This record gives sequence, structure tokens and C-alpha cells, in this order.
Amino acid sequence: MSGWLVRRALQALLVLAIALTILFFLMRAAPGDPLARASENRPLSSAELATLRARYGLDQPVGRQFAAFVGGLLRGDLGVSIQYARPVTALLAERLPATLLLGGSVLLLNFTVGLWLGVRQAVRRGGLEDRSLTAISLVGYATPSFWLGLVLAWLVGVKLRLLPPAGMQDPLLDLSAGSWLKTADVLRHLVLPVLTLSVVSIAATMRYQRAAMVEVLHLPYIMTARAKGLPERTVIWHHGWRNALFPVITLFGLWLPILVTGSVFVEAVFAWPGLGSLAAAAVWGRDYPVLMGASLLVAALVVAGGFLTDVAYALLDPRVRLG
Amino acid sequence: VTAWTPRLTAVAALAMMLLASSASAQSSSGRRGSIVIVTGEQPTMPIPTLMEGTAGTIGNQELADQLFLRLAGLGPTLITAGDRGFVPLLARSWTRRDSVTLVFDLDPRARWQDGVPVTSKDVVFTMERARNPAIAPRLAALLHRITSVTAEGDHRVVFSFSEPYAEQLYDATFHAAPLPAHLLDTIPPATLARSGFISQPVGSGPYRLVRTVPDQFVELAANQDFFLGKPKIERVIIRVAADPDARINLLLSGQADAMDNVIPPLDNIPRIKGDTNLRLIPVPSPTVGFLLFNQMDPRNPAQPHPILSDVRVRRAITLGLDRQLLIHAVFGSYAEVPYGPVSSILWIRNGAPKAKRQDTEGAKRLLAAAGWQDSDGDGIRDRNGRPLTLTLSLPTTSAIRRKLGVMIQEQLRPLGIALELQQLEFPLWIERRTSGKFDIDFAGTVQDPTPSGLTQAWTCGGGTNVAKYCDARVDSLLDIAIRGRSKGNPGEPWFAALRQIEDDAPATFLYTPFYVYAVRRHYRNVSIMPGSSWILLREWSDAR
Repeated sequence: MSGWLVRRALQALLVLAIALTILFFLMRAAPGDPLARASENRPLSSAELATLRARYGLDQPVGRQFAAFVGGLLRGDLGVSIQYARPVTALLAERLPATLLLGGSVLLLNFTVGLWLGVRQAVRRGGLEDRSLTAISLVGYATPSFWLGLVLAWLVGVKLRLLPPAGMQDPLLDLSAGSWLKTADVLRHLVLPVLTLSVVSIAATMRYQRAAMVEVLHLPYIMTARAKGLPERTVIWHHGWRNALFPVITLFGLWLPILVTGSVFVEAVFAWPGLGSLAAAAVWGRDYPVLMGASLLVAALVVAGGFLTDVAYALLDPRVRLG
Repeated sequence: VTAWTPRLTAVAALAMMLLASSASAQSSSGRRGSIVIVTGEQPTMPIPTLMEGTAGTIGNQELADQLFLRLAGLGPTLITAGDRGFVPLLARSWTRRDSVTLVFDLDPRARWQDGVPVTSKDVVFTMERARNPAIAPRLAALLHRITSVTAEGDHRVVFSFSEPYAEQLYDATFHAAPLPAHLLDTIPPATLARSGFISQPVGSGPYRLVRTVPDQFVELAANQDFFLGKPKIERVIIRVAADPDARINLLLSGQADAMDNVIPPLDNIPRIKGDTNLRLIPVPSPTVGFLLFNQMDPRNPAQPHPILSDVRVRRAITLGLDRQLLIHAVFGSYAEVPYGPVSSILWIRNGAPKAKRQDTEGAKRLLAAAGWQDSDGDGIRDRNGRPLTLTLSLPTTSAIRRKLGVMIQEQLRPLGIALELQQLEFPLWIERRTSGKFDIDFAGTVQDPTPSGLTQAWTCGGGTNVAKYCDARVDSLLDIAIRGRSKGNPGEPWFAALRQIEDDAPATFLYTPFYVYAVRRHYRNVSIMPGSSWILLREWSDAR
């Protein structure tokens, strides 16, 4: 097991190094001026631009910029954002909690409600509930998140005024308010973005789970379990569901990086202060240091997704051994 | 599992609704005497002398206006020339020793937010940093005519200038509000941007910074000891939502009390008018949008542009466009066609001639005189086998320019001009623009309140003259206007320069919009200053 972990860790580092190297040079090869944002409203003279280029090391050859990036990375320093003039690590750290909260809530909802509904559909295959849920899930899957977000923000936030249409917290909430109130306030703001992102993801999980479960429920060992007189709940959840989880675990591994990158539109519509909007703004402004920081995070999540999937397979299937 | 899950869900939903309503009630009670302003830009570095490069944003400037007081402020006329149109702030008065020496007497009541008096040492310290090109290259360039700033006692500051000119007082007071020397003189300039002063600045303005929640909001509290009178609104929240839909939703849902940049899109206007608790306030803006004609060949910058170097073609394009119709389509009644590169914030706009109206026949005659005829009957004019085809570069990020671009294309087609739209990603558009790789650039700039800024883009050696427009007469006229040597109407030398620019047609000046603000009606004494939206917030009151 420990040998496997060491090998996977080395593999992960190698993948990260290759991905970051490619990204670094691709970004520099792409057309566009990283100081464009500075010239957005008040154009800068060539002398001012030269000063700024020197300040951010953009006047150096690409090879030297790469060496500086690698050197900084080894010291845990991702550089200073061109757009915000602040350390990238601080910017990422500020936005990570909001992203984890939003993405984590979506994942939680997705892999509880989605799995549960998928199993219900499989158990009631062909019935009215199955057909209704199939129709609903197809509509959900086909609904663009950004459109749904706009509709929910307008309907629930503006017309009905049931929930805040944007932001992560009420700025007027008293600083001395108790932690319960503060938590409740964040939850109020969380509902609409989570709902928006979950509709599509739950629909996808339901479809995957239903298909896998339908296949499993026809296997002979399920008939054997029923013949042994086991309660139906045990047959479905202990024997059936456990073996129908593999496609969904793969899906989980794929969903993990989307936590960061997949919610850009929804973060914008709901003014959610997450990493997605930071990364999108960095792409738009060619903010190389922030882009590299965000890419590092996404690449790490991709690697972590693969790793967690492998571990989950091993835990669930006795035939899979790590080693 | 089928039995308990719905019950659990219902209980969770009920608990959340209860929590949500309690949090909502708590926040509603905190609204009286406060204001939530929703805006699109996060202030990151609202510190005078540090708002350079990427930090030179409107968001930073507007927050700095609340935290730091200038020596004097622009008056309601926004006239930047002479010494009379200004309002005393940190300086209670100013006098002239001669044509190149200005003396400011500081108000002895002025205090920093930590209680320390504001002195002449603070002004000298700030101007030293502002005039240092290694610290603040843009500011240093703007202040290059100031030769020295010295203190005479604790409350008198003397500014010396290299030459007489009309905007000495403006230069001395507008660009850099004083910083507290007693807190900053031990911090090296290079490390100031990373110091604790950035997150907890101590200013002399009507509001102090309470907290910054990144990408969400900035909270300000009234400076109880503000020497010009304690602000009536105690708490100010500047809430950030980059997306225009999110901003309007916050306003219409009652989560925000005021909003800037209501348009675009134009359909926000009827939405806000539909809410009787809100009122719309249009204010002149520092923005001007124009089609910039490249004077040089983008493929060979040493050569004149094969089409646009001919002034008749440039004039024909300007005459061929119905600019009123164009701007009405995107701004409604909240914009006007400028005369020359003059935004509605510049005082020289008042009394300036009116922009020419569309004259398609005149435009056709000019093109014909320049040798452009439709010889093959394809609807596009040509000359020596070369079609009259031009490319208009514009950024994908500007919905206004995208919409106008299509309309301009349609309006030029009947004249026999084929306009190809080249929509570019923003950084790429800037790169092409600054390197002169364009035929026509759809530019939009934000101007300082001074007309002197026109020299940057419209003189031969101007630092941002990317189109290489050069007319020695314009240079000379602008120089005369800046020095303020002519007698009579101070606007007249500027109008002469504008007439020459219009005659040269280096660009088609399309629009200068009014910024439209929405504010809840229960705020009284509401006034919004062009160019610095919320600077007069300290005079507002909340009638709830």
C-alpha cells in the first residue's frame, strides 16, 4: 500500500510538472498584453508600460520568466498578480473557501439526492415515478446553468424576494451577530447558486446511477440475496447499490476539478466570490501569475480526483488491490 | 430510506427557512442610517500615489475620495483652469506670490483619523513620492511642471512651478491627496503596497475603512471627528458585483440602495422606473467613444495608410454616419455627440461648437473627389483596382461597441465603403491598438477633468497617440490653451484647437454618455459629482 502511495505521489508530481510547463509556455505564446487591463480606461504611454513590464518581469526572456516561476513555486511563492498587485497565494486563499463551500455543497447534494433518486428509479423501473423522474432529469440535464441562474435570481430573488439574488453574505449583518445568524446568512445566499449548479449535475448522476443499478439488479446474486430472505432494503442498498457505484465514482473523479472551473457563469450571475470568477478574470486580463496559480489548483484537483477514485475502487471492490 | 428521507429534507428546509428569516430580519434592522452602493469594480489599492498601472481604476479612486481629502476640490462647474473654481478642503485658502508660486494655508482643524493634526509636512511628503517617477510614473508625468513643494511652518505649503500655466492649482490639488507622513515616512516606498496601511489606511476624509471582504464588499464608517462636519450617513457599504445582471438584481431586490452605471443595457431604465422607490440621476461622464483612424499603414508603419491618410476619406466617414441615431440606439437619451475628443465632464464642452450632422451626399462627393468610384458596380467603391474596404477593430467585452459596430457597418455600406468588423479578445485588442495594427480602432477612453489630457492622444508626440496623428497647428493651439495666455473667454483657445481637430478628422467622435445612477428616494440632499461619483456622499442624509 505504501509503495503504491509513493508511486502515485511521484506520478502526480510528474503530471503536475508537465501540465504547468505546457501551460506556462502556451500562455506566453497566446496573443494579448497582460497589461491590457491597465490601459482599459486611461491609455498608458510607452514609458509607463515599460516601467510596469519591468516591475512584473515581463521584459525578461520567457526562459528566465519560467526559471523565476519555478524558483518561486519551490519556495511556495506563486508571484504577484498583475491585476490586483497582491500575492497570488493570498488571492487564492481568500477565494478558496467560497469555492469549496459552493462546490462541496453541490457535490454533496449531487451525490446524495442524485444517487438516491437514481436508485429509486431503478427499483421502480418502468413505473410512473421512473418515467416522470426520467423526463425531469432530461429537462434538468438540458437546462443551461447560466440561464437557470438568471431565472432563479430574478424570480426568487427579485420578484418573490425569498432569498438574496447575489453575494455570499449580507454586508449589513451586524458584526457582533452570533455565529448561527452568520451561518444562516451564508446559507441563504448559498441556496440559489447551489440549486442552479445542482439541477444539471443531479440529473447526470441520476442517469448514471439508474443505468448502473438496473444492470446490477438483474444479476444472479441479487436473486440469491432475495431468495435468502434478506430484507429488500438490504438487498438494494447493501448488495445492489455497492456494486452499482463504480460508474458514479468515476463521475465523482471527473467532477472534482469542475468544482473550480465549472461554476464561472454561476459565480458571475450570483456574484459569488469564488475561484472560478478569479480564474476567468485572469484569462481575460492575461494575469499570468493568477492563471498559473489557478491552473496549479485545477491540476492538483484532477490528480486528486484520479487518486480518490482509485482508492474508492479498492475500498469497494475486494478484487482491486492497491500495490 | 424511502420513508425518512423526505421527512429529513422537510425538516432541513424548515430549519433553513427559519434561520434565513432570522438573518434577514437582523440585517434589515441595520439599514437605517446606512447605504449600500453596488458597483462593478473591487477597490484594491485606494491609496494616493499607489493608484498606478493596474491599480489606476475608477473603483480605487472613488474609495480614495472617501478616505483621503485633497487640498482643494473641483467646484460644480468642473473648471480646472485658474484659481477660482475650487472648493477649500484641507487647505482653507490659497494665494499667489507670483505667476509660478502658489501658497496654501492648511485648515488647522484638519485631523488624520488617528487624531494627529494634518500638517504641511504631510503635503511635502506626499508630493515628494508623487513626483518620483520610480514610485509613481504616471503621477510624476502629470506633475512634471511642479518644481518644488516646501513647508513654511506647520500649516503653510508653497508650490513652485516651472512656468506659468492655467492649471497650476488643479495640478497641485487634484492628482494626489495628502498621506499621513507620521505613519508612512518609515515605510520604504517599494514596500508600502504590501504594508498594513493598505488594509487599514488612516486618512483625513469623511469616512474611514472598517473592513474589506475581498470580491464582496468594502465597509466604511463615518469619521466622527471630520472637521468639515460629521457625515449624516453613518455606514457605507460598497458592494461588488461584476456582472450587470447581478447588480441590477441586488438593487431591485432591495439588497442595495444605489447603483452606478445603470446602462448598458438600456432596458435597465424601464426596470428601475418601474420601482417607485428608486430615482434615476444622469450625470456627465468622463467617457468618450470614437472611431480612431490609423494615419499609418498597419502592415508597413513607415508608410502612410493607403486609404485613411487622405483627410477626405476620414471626413466622408464622419459625415456619412448618423451619429444621433447610433447613440440613441444604445444610450437612449443619455448620451450626446461630442465636438472633438471632449467628454461631457470637460468644462470646455460648454460653449463648444456643435458636431456636424449626417450629410451622405457631402460624404459621397468627398469620396468621389478622392478618386473612389464604384467602377465595377459591386456597390463598393474602388481606386486603381483597390476596393474601399476597411477593418474596424473592437473588443468583444464591450456590448455597446459591438452593437454600434454593426450599425456603423450598415450606415457606411450605402456610401460604398465596406467595413469589416474585427472583434478581438480584450488583451489582443489592446495589443493591436498599442502596436498600431489596425485600420480603424473603436476606442473608448476615460478622461481626467482637465482638457490638458488631450495632448496625450492628439499631439504629434503624445504618449498615447497610437494612430500617429500629427498636426503642428493642433500642437500649437493646445499649447496656447494650456498656458492660458489668451485674453477673454478661457475656452476660446480650446475651441480653436477642437475646430482644427474636427477639420483634420483623425477620428469620428461618436458619443459621450451620461452615467446614470439609481438611488432610493429616501436619501435626501443627493448630489453626484461627475468624475467622482460618491465624493459628496458626506452631505447626503437618510430620511427613513
